[in-house]
Amino acid sequence: MKKFWLFLVLFVATFTLVACGDDDPLDEDPTNFKIAMVTDVGDIDDKSFNQGTWEGIEAYGDANDKEYAYFRPSSVSTADYIETIDLAIAEGYRIIVTPGFLFEEAIHDVQFRHPGVYFILIDGAPHSGDFTPDIASNTLSIFFNEHESGWLAGYAAVMDGYESLGYLGGMAVPAVVRFGVGFVAGAYYAAYELELDTFDFETRNYAYLGGFSPSDEHKNTALAMYNRGVEVIHAAAGGAGNSVMLAAEELDDKWVIGVDIDQRDESTRVITSALKGLGIAVQTALDDIYEQEFEGGRSLTLGASEDAVGIPTGTNAFDRMNTFDIDDYDRIYNMLGGKVLNVPKTPQELVRYIDALGYSVTTGLEAKAQGS
Amino acid sequence: MERIRNILKKCLAFILGKSKSILVTIKPSLIAICMGLIAGIIMMLIFNPSETLSGLRNLLIGVIYRNNQLNLRGILTTLHHSTTIILTGIAVVFAFRTGLFNIGASGQMMMGAYVTVHVGVLWSLPAPFHWIVGIFLGVVAGTIYGLIPGILKAMRNVNEVVTSIMLNWIAASLLVYLVNRNVLNPFTQGGSQNIQPTAIIPRLFSNYQLTIGFLIAIAMGILAHFLLYRTTLGFQLRASGFNVDGSKYAGMNTKRNIILSMGISGAFAGLAGALLFSNYGKTLSTEVHVFMEGFEGISVALLGLGEPIGAIIAGIFLSYIKQGGFYMQPAFRPEISDMIIGVIIYFTAISLALQLALKKYSGKIKTFIKRKHLTTREEDEQ
Amino acid sequence: MTYKIEMRNITKRFGNLTANDQVNLQVKKGEIHAILGENGAGKSTLMSILFGLIPADEGDIFIDGKQVHIKTPNDANRLGIGMVHQHFKLVEAFRVIDNIILGVEDVNKGLLSYQEARTKINELIKLYGLNVELDALIRDISVGQQQRVEILKMLYRDSEILIFDEPTAVLTPQEIKELIAIMKGFSREGKTIILITHKLNEIKQVADRCTVLRRGKMIDTVNVIDVSINEMADMMVGREVLFDVSKAPQAVGESILKVHNLTVKSPEQTFVKNVSFEVFSGEILGLAGIDGNGQTELIQAITGLRPFQEGTLTFKGIDVTNMSIREKYELGFAHIPEDRQRYGLILDFDLQSNLVLQNFYMEKFQSKFMLKFDRIREHSEKLINRFDIRSEKGPSTIVRNMSGGNQQKAILAREIQKPHHLLIAVQPTRGLDVGAIENIHKQLIDERQKGKAVLMVSLDIDEIMDVSDRILVMHEGEIVANVLAKDANINELGLYMLGEKREANNDGAHS
Repeated sequence: MKKFWLFLVLFVATFTLVACGDDDPLDEDPTNFKIAMVTDVGDIDDKSFNQGTWEGIEAYGDANDKEYAYFRPSSVSTADYIETIDLAIAEGYRIIVTPGFLFEEAIHDVQFRHPGVYFILIDGAPHSGDFTPDIASNTLSIFFNEHESGWLAGYAAVMDGYESLGYLGGMAVPAVVRFGVGFVAGAYYAAYELELDTFDFETRNYAYLGGFSPSDEHKNTALAMYNRGVEVIHAAAGGAGNSVMLAAEELDDKWVIGVDIDQRDESTRVITSALKGLGIAVQTALDDIYEQEFEGGRSLTLGASEDAVGIPTGTNAFDRMNTFDIDDYDRIYNMLGGKVLNVPKTPQELVRYIDALGYSVTTGLEAKAQGS
Repeated sequence: MERIRNILKKCLAFILGKSKSILVTIKPSLIAICMGLIAGIIMMLIFNPSETLSGLRNLLIGVIYRNNQLNLRGILTTLHHSTTIILTGIAVVFAFRTGLFNIGASGQMMMGAYVTVHVGVLWSLPAPFHWIVGIFLGVVAGTIYGLIPGILKAMRNVNEVVTSIMLNWIAASLLVYLVNRNVLNPFTQGGSQNIQPTAIIPRLFSNYQLTIGFLIAIAMGILAHFLLYRTTLGFQLRASGFNVDGSKYAGMNTKRNIILSMGISGAFAGLAGALLFSNYGKTLSTEVHVFMEGFEGISVALLGLGEPIGAIIAGIFLSYIKQGGFYMQPAFRPEISDMIIGVIIYFTAISLALQLALKKYSGKIKTFIKRKHLTTREEDEQ
Repeated sequence: MTYKIEMRNITKRFGNLTANDQVNLQVKKGEIHAILGENGAGKSTLMSILFGLIPADEGDIFIDGKQVHIKTPNDANRLGIGMVHQHFKLVEAFRVIDNIILGVEDVNKGLLSYQEARTKINELIKLYGLNVELDALIRDISVGQQQRVEILKMLYRDSEILIFDEPTAVLTPQEIKELIAIMKGFSREGKTIILITHKLNEIKQVADRCTVLRRGKMIDTVNVIDVSINEMADMMVGREVLFDVSKAPQAVGESILKVHNLTVKSPEQTFVKNVSFEVFSGEILGLAGIDGNGQTELIQAITGLRPFQEGTLTFKGIDVTNMSIREKYELGFAHIPEDRQRYGLILDFDLQSNLVLQNFYMEKFQSKFMLKFDRIREHSEKLINRFDIRSEKGPSTIVRNMSGGNQQKAILAREIQKPHHLLIAVQPTRGLDVGAIENIHKQLIDERQKGKAVLMVSLDIDEIMDVSDRILVMHEGEIVANVLAKDANINELGLYMLGEKREANNDGAHS
């Protein structure tokens, strides 16, 4: 017994001795600014949104010899996001990148308290809780035209010969709604170009899973969709997309369109992905900061005109397609980028768009896309 | 020296409410904590050997002392985060002391959380009443949800572990349904709206997260202790917990006791959810998931030796380690602290076995020494 | 000469308590050696040391003259020592044969091979008359048969030394007779038997020699044939023991409890069939019968622990048929339950809490829902003194750490001191030693002298005969006899118990 207490005392003493030392001092030279990413609930390996952002930071940091790191809050609440950002700043990080609208209120708080720190908020604009954007000059908020990306993916799928399409979003948050709206619109536009007499995107093949994490339940939802004839599903659902891929792998001739980043390595069934140029956008913003050309106080919306959305075009990018190739893609992409084509952004616009193309809208599609 | 030891002993005895061999009682927990820290150090050496020392420093004292100054924010945030797990810990402890395993603290907490958010978003009341009513009704919701497995157990003898696990998932789905239906944020569609400022529980210091909820949690620990060990109700509940047949023989209404006990346990869990979601900027997600804090309550109960006062100490301690992990960033992932906590809980659970093994081992050593002693004596005689 | 077993100067301490103090034990090969002592005298400790369950602090063990170190039961098994514990260690859902070979099974190509085992077991069964159905499940056979399985387990492992820990405590008189015959058979075959018991007449019947322990010390080893039962009892208790229960005459008074047409059944089985009887103040009514004939269920129905389907209960003229257990206590029921650890006590509570288990909520011990601990302690100290309840820490002792005899004293104290008119005592002396039995019998008779009604259930026919004023005999859920103790003889009662004979007419009242 006595030995145990002796051991305990020694144990504690060792740790107390260890507890001495100093922290790094703050670096004021702009070229030495360190980059910190703060994640929300998800982690940086979510194969999707966070990962896209993180990979952008990583690539930039390695190429330009900048220090970078990421931080995770200790719990999910605005107060904890603020504490995490404060911690990163206290650790000497002067550029804070936060992906996701969950950070809107937190950034609103910190942007004014830390005027010497740069904030890049992706998919959101800071506000004080009333959803009226209030962006300080040291903050840049970046949005994407996800509907254009979805549109291109939907177009590619139908042009490639698929007729029965499905859409599975994670939750009906604005970015995910836009992916879906664009996807359906692109599919109808392809049908219109192919002069198909009828084309239906069935309402029941459009759904939100209710989450961004993989689960058997999501896989079953996808299986059910495939089993009623759907050939390809656009899964805009982060990690939950992997459940859709698993479902496709269990069946013959069923395919998936990925989201955010090129997901072809996740599964052989991924024919293409609806990209969101997270990495490019972050890198551009970082470059501006280091070049001292940063223009804050505004929100930026990036789309086809800025080359920030689309589907992958690298080597082998089209090898899982039947006929659709880079030339077909370039033609339509230029039309989109040159604003020759208009892409609907909201479910309401989608309905009018389909109508204008001369197809009948399946009942309930608008409400379904809205998420209600 | 002896005097100091006596005073220390008395202090500990006062805290834990038992008069004898308190150090022996908490020994398993201490062993487990040492094991957890050793495992943490090993992990840190593997991932980032050059930063191990500073990482360890941040883990152990970063919450209190950082960048050469007192880290008041760290301390207060730690206490703030401990509020929830202290309460779920008390919920588990209370049921455990009465012979029931409330694995459904998560579900009860979720119902409490929803009702509080519902009241906070949709009702309009003047300031002090708004949050008080919200939290009170949250407690009521948790109580009702806790009563369900209690009633099923008492009336139909359905195992409360099974029902309360299933009720967790029912609560998770119900919660998403209710949020979508009643309090969905129209802008993001990804969660509930913020509660109104009048519904936010007051902070103790305006710039720090810590709210009076923490004080309520401490008070609840003392109340639970008092209820269990000083009242006639606690007497009956504990008697039923130890021996149902014996309590029945003694004329106690064991069925009523089971129901009451689960209801009270549910009330503590409901309070945990209500307090958590009456914080600024805390919203309910529309993703179907079971709150982990309910299960963390089991860990807290285990580490707290199944005592309400122990749950307070264990809750603060686990929160401290977790926050220490937060301050290890960015050199180390905060998951290291989760892992340390995991090891601590694991060793708490098996520490009894460990102690027995040590005892056996020490016995062998003793006989070995004795035998050796004997043989040398024999040799001397020769 | 060389003894089969020799234990020299064995000392074992538990904290301040010395359970074995320099104990010497010498057992000859082929003898039946009894170890006699009251509860807590150190018998079980000594045998646990021999069987490797606990280590001795001091002392040496020799088997066949060679010194051995027994650290685990496996060591003991290797040395040919087998033990039948008081509480059997059998797998209920397994068959008899599986239990016997468990741990030493033959395996043939990954499958269990029963062939040889079955042959060997059948030989053992034939040799010693241990009839038991090898393919029956343990849970389907009687306690007596389960004991045989335990014995077969030892024999199957070729044990030469057989330890029996209180083997007759759970058996019916018939089964006891058979067990004694079996033990004698072992002795004839040259096996060495150690019998732990406190039943003197069994020792007289079966044992060759007897070692007496008292409070951890060895008193003496005697040849059983040379001493009388009384002498052995005196050695065990350390003073003279009175076996005859002396009773002053007591007038029988009013009817306290009236049971009318009581029927207790479960969906599968009827336990009690249409039973009626009365208990009167100033009498001890003994309820006799072989275990499992409905006595347990009858008492549980009367006290409220088990619902009953038909019949009424009247207590001092008040209908208590549908009353709760607490209401019955408040009216004047007192109940010493059959299973003191399962029903009578909350083992993990301290002694003082157990002493107020039924009345903690009363004014005396409670105000505004708060327990008055000072009053509770005062109360318990009073009872502890009056009933001589011995424990390590007085009122704060956790009851689980108390000896069986003192646990029973605690229950007795609690039940007798509270205001009551009826005392129901079920097997009040089960598992207790001679001294304690004597005390409990005295207390029951005191109750009677005070004009209380006492309903005593016992499986021990001698106890029934000694203590009761009137005797009811139960057989297969029915009351088959109602006789005055002074008119009864043991043979006749035996016939009633076996169902060979029944009274033509009995209404449970005085005959």
